[in-house]
Amino acid sequence: MGSLFRSETMCLAQLFLQSGTAYECLSALGEKGLVQFRDLNQNVSSFQRKFVGEVKRCEELERILAYLVQEINRADIPLPEGETSPPAPPLKQVLEMQEQLQKLEVELREVTKNKEKLRKNLLELIEYTHMLRVTKTFVKRNVEFEPTYEEFPPLENDSLLDYSCMQRLGAKLGFVSGLINQGKVEAFEKMLWRVCKGYTIVTYAELDEPLEDPETGEVIKWYVFLISFWGEQIGHKVKKICDCYHCHVYPYPNTAEERKEIQEGLNTRIQDLYTVLHKTEDYLRQVLCKAAESVYSHVIQVKKMKAIYHMLNMCSFDVTNKCLIAEVWCPEADLHELRRALEEGSRESGATIPSFMNTIPTKETPPTLIRTNKFTEGFQNIVDAYGVGSYREVNPALFTIITFPFLFAVMFGDFGHGFVMFLFALLLVLNENHPRLNQSQEIMRMFFNGRYILLLMGLFSVYTGLIYNDCFSKSVNLFGSGWSVSAMYSSSHTPAEQKKMGLWNDSVVRHNRVLQLDPSIPGVFQGPYPLGIDPIWNLATNRLTFLNSFKMKMSVILGIIHMTFGVILGIFNHLHFRKKFNIYLVSVPELLFMLCIFGYLIFMIVYKWLVYSAETSRVAPSILIEFINMFLFPASETNGLYSGQFNFGEILMTQVIHSIEYCLGCISNTASYLRLWALSLAHAQLSDVLWTMLVRVGLRVDTTYGVLLLLPVIALFAVLTIFILLIMEGLSAFLHAIRLHWVEFQNKFYVGAGTKFVPFSFRLLSSKFSDDVA
Amino acid sequence: MLEGAEFYFNVDHGYLEGLVRGCKASLLTQQDYINLVQCETLEDVKIHLQTTDYGNFLANQTNPLTVSKIDTEMRKKLCREFEYFRNHSLEPLSTFFTYMTCSYMIDNVILLMNGALQKKSVKEILVKCHPLGRFTEMEAVNIAETPSDLFNAVLVETPLAPFFQDCMSENTLDELNIELLRNKLYKSYLEAFYKFCKNHGDVTAEIMCPILEFEADRRAFIITLNSFGTELSKDDRETLYPTCGKLYPEGLRLLAQAEDFDQMRRVADHYGVYKPLFEAVGDGSGGKTLEDVFYEREVQMNVLAFNRQFHYGVFYAYTKLKEQEMRNIVYRSSSFEVPIL
Repeated sequence: MGSLFRSETMCLAQLFLQSGTAYECLSALGEKGLVQFRDLNQNVSSFQRKFVGEVKRCEELERILAYLVQEINRADIPLPEGETSPPAPPLKQVLEMQEQLQKLEVELREVTKNKEKLRKNLLELIEYTHMLRVTKTFVKRNVEFEPTYEEFPPLENDSLLDYSCMQRLGAKLGFVSGLINQGKVEAFEKMLWRVCKGYTIVTYAELDEPLEDPETGEVIKWYVFLISFWGEQIGHKVKKICDCYHCHVYPYPNTAEERKEIQEGLNTRIQDLYTVLHKTEDYLRQVLCKAAESVYSHVIQVKKMKAIYHMLNMCSFDVTNKCLIAEVWCPEADLHELRRALEEGSRESGATIPSFMNTIPTKETPPTLIRTNKFTEGFQNIVDAYGVGSYREVNPALFTIITFPFLFAVMFGDFGHGFVMFLFALLLVLNENHPRLNQSQEIMRMFFNGRYILLLMGLFSVYTGLIYNDCFSKSVNLFGSGWSVSAMYSSSHTPAEQKKMGLWNDSVVRHNRVLQLDPSIPGVFQGPYPLGIDPIWNLATNRLTFLNSFKMKMSVILGIIHMTFGVILGIFNHLHFRKKFNIYLVSVPELLFMLCIFGYLIFMIVYKWLVYSAETSRVAPSILIEFINMFLFPASETNGLYSGQFNFGEILMTQVIHSIEYCLGCISNTASYLRLWALSLAHAQLSDVLWTMLVRVGLRVDTTYGVLLLLPVIALFAVLTIFILLIMEGLSAFLHAIRLHWVEFQNKFYVGAGTKFVPFSFRLLSSKFSDDVA
Repeated sequence: MLEGAEFYFNVDHGYLEGLVRGCKASLLTQQDYINLVQCETLEDVKIHLQTTDYGNFLANQTNPLTVSKIDTEMRKKLCREFEYFRNHSLEPLSTFFTYMTCSYMIDNVILLMNGALQKKSVKEILVKCHPLGRFTEMEAVNIAETPSDLFNAVLVETPLAPFFQDCMSENTLDELNIELLRNKLYKSYLEAFYKFCKNHGDVTAEIMCPILEFEADRRAFIITLNSFGTELSKDDRETLYPTCGKLYPEGLRLLAQAEDFDQMRRVADHYGVYKPLFEAVGDGSGGKTLEDVFYEREVQMNVLAFNRQFHYGVFYAYTKLKEQEMRNIVYRSSSFEVPIL
């Protein structure tokens, strides 16, 4: 039974860490993951602890590293992940590492800033060229109109006032042009109209290619607009409105030559910028590539360092301030290792006085440690989900390994379904080292973690399926049925005898819708089927009644055995914790009650099975009635009061409550095990329905079309079998098996009030980049 | 609307109410404040806030840390939460949210106009604007010269437009007029918000109306207090009082005639709600100021709002409580910046 039966013995140890070696010692401890630290500074808030400065430094390093990783990811440079995890950095190297990283950060920030600036410049220039190109189409119109300004006055010679006014307006005709975000165009135009009261002309056109925002990397659609206005006042307002809507405004060339000039100038500048930008990007890439080589090990190292300082923050200083005192929980079996780790740490730091440890006696409850392997882990998790076991109490996980898949299988008994589940689990188990499976998410992860549970559940379902003789709701005739129909036609008897015995003849067969096989007729029943239910029941109309009676009784028997076992485990607990009276006054009465009522019920069931045969079955009494009568005719006695009663007080109350709870619990729990029957029935019926509704319909169609029809029918059957019968039904049976363990079984003995042993171990730190980037 | 919010409230707003109650649980506790008091530097504050629900919100800030950085990040966080609520809300809750942002919008508009008056650049002021009251047209506020200009050109399409009914005038916007504009806007805003809650009925009205009544009366008191010794005439003063509070109408008429703090206190004595508040005010030398007392009362009302279910008040209360918490943290943090003598 070993370590899985009870949690390991723990002891409280005091570590005396010389202040010079504490860091190295903890690093050694963290690599091994042996001990759980106790927080000795619970009343000190997080920013007043001793090593808060160091933690802060680690956080600073983490910030830089996160920035590096972010930049590296943005540049699409692959991050190599080392196979081995580097140890926590020696203190001497930390400063060096910090300087190196800080230098790198400053350099990187500068280069990226330059790059951003260049890109922004470039974008502006590109925007400007776009604007010039698009406004050209507006301008063409303007060029056409322009002569009219000059040709207008001679036509209207007499209206001098208008003319001068026009001249004045013409002289002050101003243009503002630029780009505006697509979504803001409408509001922009409206506000221009409202503010300038129509003294402006706005023309705009959509820019055919969207531009990327250098800061957010978002691709945005832009509109190019041109506003022409008269008057300085309005010009100010227009400019303010442009600012308000974050328009990118560029100077508008007045003449065609100017426009051409600007365009040429822009083109050369854009070319220049491109070359500079490429050079900068190359350089940035170089820097990042170099950083990417070491960034993984740095991330791990900093994480380890931070973890060490967090642990050191839990230690207290001794009076001389020369050494740190830590209190740790350690499994007794690992004390030797712990000593070795401390020696190693001291040696590494080259300290003259080694760090050492003392075990100290304690009254406090130690944490619970149950060592598991990949097989037992899943079962332990089922138990832990209910409650982590109290220190040194019996661990139900050991028994759960068998009982859980078994109870599941009782509800999921179908060896076709069971075999599919077994194959699926086997696939997971055989490929368990595959990296894709290890990193899978959500539901797949759940299946992967429970692969051994699934494997056993599948195997046990195959077994119970054989017992129920159910394969995708059909029975399989492996050994030949024990019933013979032809014996019912036995012609060796006289007709009178035949009638008396209920034998069949042609007229009986022809006129009765239902025929009954009578096992008491010699030759009809040749003895039980070698394994499980006889396949002939698959044809019988009273199959359900027969199976119900069988499964119900089986559920009760299994349940009572399971619960009695739980009570017996309780005795182990009482023995271990030296609670002698609990055995006499709790466990024994519990056992008595359980066995005298429900044990007797089992006895009656088995007795009835053994004693009553086919011949005597008609006189067999009903167990249910017998059982009820047992309660209904108790000798009613009145118990009189007696003098000298003493005060039970609270003991009486709790004991009474406990007894009542237990007695009622026993009844309800036994009834609860009937879910084994109910779910098994539901499962069998559901698969039966699926078969009759789908495959049988498909099989009945005549052969020419039948083949064509059968293909989709079988496909649908397979899909529904997997999703409804395997996954959905499987989950429900799993749930009920969990409930039977948690409630019915474990409440007989399991307290589950412990705390889990969480050792200080670097292995528990996440070693992925994605976590710290997010 | 029909009475009995419990029958249909959760259909539309159950998710958000659950969310806001969860957010409320993340407010700093008494223990957190005790720890904050023990802090000695801004870094300490940062480390402590990391252990609360604020989490790593300052992790990406480069050193040195300043109070304004903390303040901005906290505001951003609140704003993110608020935006989430708002984006997931259905009518009439979304209108309620719009009403909530209006007060911040008014503040921002006034802030920008004051800035324009002092010839400060828009960008400089924008930083100071409350993110909850941000809107696109905001930056164009300084092109207006009169209140009606402001309305016609800039604000006509914003939720603030209906509050302009009383303040359309052609006066140039100098400092006094801006202040008057703010108070008039606020008065219309409060009255409209009050009407909205009242019309909504149900628990929302039961919770929100007292809070808004208190807000209205508080403004009336503060306006009175601030107008002592200014050129504001008594009649003008009366037009600024929001009329949805408990003081309306007699109390407001009396307040308009008050000439010093004592007379104001005498008005408050007529009201059972405000009498104890004025009694708690210390006398010049120390103790609480009137504003502190009002803040306390407001916080108390907001906390009580969480005792009822199925109403919108929780969103209002949460925002206000969070703001108070941010004020507390900033107050605590700013003591590190000035040398303590």
